[in-house]
Amino acid sequence: MQQGSFCYVAGTPVIEAQGLTKFYTLGKETVRALDRVDFTATQGDFAVINGPSGSGKTTLLNMFALIDRPSEGEVLFEEKPTSRLTEGELALLRREKIGLVFQTFNLIPVLSVAENVEYPLLLTKTPRAERRERVAARLDEVGLSGFERRRPDELSGGQRQRVAVARALVTEPRAVLADEPTANLDSGTGKQIMELLQGLNRDHCVTFLVVTHDPSVVGYAQRVLTIRDGRIQGEEKRGAPGPA
Amino acid sequence: MARLALRNLSRNRRRTVLSAGIVALGCALSLVVLGFVERSRSLIQETTVQQFGNLQIADPEFLDGKAEGFAYLVSPAVRAQVEGLVRLERGVVGTTAQLALSGLLAVRRTTAVVRAVGVVPENNILDYNDLVIDGRGLKPGDVGAVLVGQTLANELGLQPGDFVNLTATTVAGAFNVSPLEVVGLFQFSSAEVERAQVFVPLSFAQLLLATEGVDRIVVRLDRLGRTSAAARAIGARLRAAGLALEVRTWDVLSPFYRGLSGFFDLLFGFLVAAVFTLVFFIVLQILTLSFLERTREVGTIRALGTRQGEVFRLFVEESLWLGLVGGGVGALIGIGISLLFNAAKIPWQPPGTVQTVTLGVDFTATAILIPFLVSVFSTLASALLPAYQATRVSVVDALRAV
Ligand SMILES: Nc1ncnc2c1ncn2[C@@H]1O[C@H](COP(=O)(O)OP(=O)(O)OP(=O)(O)O)[C@@H](O)[C@H]1O
Ligand SMILES: [Mg+2]
Repeated sequence: MQQGSFCYVAGTPVIEAQGLTKFYTLGKETVRALDRVDFTATQGDFAVINGPSGSGKTTLLNMFALIDRPSEGEVLFEEKPTSRLTEGELALLRREKIGLVFQTFNLIPVLSVAENVEYPLLLTKTPRAERRERVAARLDEVGLSGFERRRPDELSGGQRQRVAVARALVTEPRAVLADEPTANLDSGTGKQIMELLQGLNRDHCVTFLVVTHDPSVVGYAQRVLTIRDGRIQGEEKRGAPGPA
Repeated sequence: MARLALRNLSRNRRRTVLSAGIVALGCALSLVVLGFVERSRSLIQETTVQQFGNLQIADPEFLDGKAEGFAYLVSPAVRAQVEGLVRLERGVVGTTAQLALSGLLAVRRTTAVVRAVGVVPENNILDYNDLVIDGRGLKPGDVGAVLVGQTLANELGLQPGDFVNLTATTVAGAFNVSPLEVVGLFQFSSAEVERAQVFVPLSFAQLLLATEGVDRIVVRLDRLGRTSAAARAIGARLRAAGLALEVRTWDVLSPFYRGLSGFFDLLFGFLVAAVFTLVFFIVLQILTLSFLERTREVGTIRALGTRQGEVFRLFVEESLWLGLVGGGVGALIGIGISLLFNAAKIPWQPPGTVQTVTLGVDFTATAILIPFLVSVFSTLASALLPAYQATRVSVVDALRAV
């Protein structure tokens, strides 16, 4: 944990895309969802991938999350190619190194708040005492101390997304990937979530990749990539990120 | 992970109760039927043993019904030797001997061919006094006394106190006739036996045949479970002593029992197979739906790094709990029904036997364990295919599912 410290390993590549291409075949028609995308996210990056609906944002993020495979090209995770890894190996990589935040929160409804956050630590077989400690720390960070025993359906949307953020960070991953994390929230709550992500990015030196078509989210990024028709249109680098 | 599996059962309570209830029903039903079959079987075993003893020792040709003349008779010396050998065996309660003969029973002007079985009166091992429904049984001092079956008594118009004549051929080939007093009438499950068989004191049978021999030695054991081991051991002792006698066990002596027992097994097997095939398909249906509804959640936990095998195990574990709960509740319900049934004390006369017994359900460990385990395994089996299908969906597709 590098809480409070500056990101001294900045610059190390975490996720790289090399010529990523994805086809979908629907009957006779072939949709090119991604077209030769090259991109590198380095340690501590806070990047937003922005683009209109259907431009391929989710498709790209799923490749980075190692839950989908490209038709052509390669995704490197920590500088190692992933295309030859088995499903099982990819799962191990995901549980240890990648945190995911979904548009629809995707909490496990039968588990309590604390248990939802604890779930990835069960996968990594983290000892019980450490699990408890880390869950408490993450919940504290997202401002949900005292909500441990609640069920997801007893929380507001913003609170649920906070639980999801805590869950994504609990294993101390190298990268947190979020697909439209604010789309199901009102703008005020969305703003709070983005500020939370931004703070965590600073505190933990974790790479954040956020997909959105919400212009207000864009303001939080250091890097803004615009994607259109499956192609990266351009990148804008911002020195001092802040709300738009 | 066990926690998650358990919690998943609480997800849709009505559905969980429904599927556990179906498993429980199947378990309870087969528990009661199995317990009932087991009790009935052991009742028939008991009554069969009451008819034949646990073991009978006799000349093999005689046992097979192929003996000629009277060569099969066991002399007093051999009988004493055999009884001495038998008593060495553990679990032997005692022995008795019988001598059966064919004769002509004459009353006034009517006659009937009968098989007269000579038994030691009140021998505690195998006498038939408990079959008597009118008059009295045979007593130790009796010589010229006979127990006549109900059917024969009706046909010949006999009552206790009447006299009959029994004619037979002695071992030397001469005719012999002796008067007998009908001291009692007996009933038997088979009218054929009631018509064709009578019981006389052994001493009378020996007198009529002019022999001191017997045709069989009957052995009673303390436990039914000892039967085959005791039969083997006694057979070995007899061979070692150079005696050309054979040991037959009660179940071999009663072909009726063997047929019935096999029939019971078949009946129970068929019923359980039918019940659990039904349970399997209903639970399969329910679980398929239940797992399918969670496709998105499967996508989520797989995206978080849960491996396919772990997801599969999660579902199977869930069904294991379902089976354990369903089977456990079913076992309790089954035991409850059985207790009620046992309390009702329904009388029944098992086929091929004599006494009326009380119907009931046995609670042996097996009678509870078999239905319980079958419930658990059939529930597990129901989960395999839907669990496998649930893990086959790609993560991305699963996450997009609604
Ligand atoms: N499983 C699929 N099968 C067929 N076509 C698909 C599939 N997934 C995505 N596509 C197509 O690929 C293109 C990119 O889709 P993607 O979901 O990546 O867009 P997006 O930028 O995330 O859009 P949105 O903002 O609406 O979420 C679209 O044209 C879409 O129709
Ligand atoms: Mg999308």
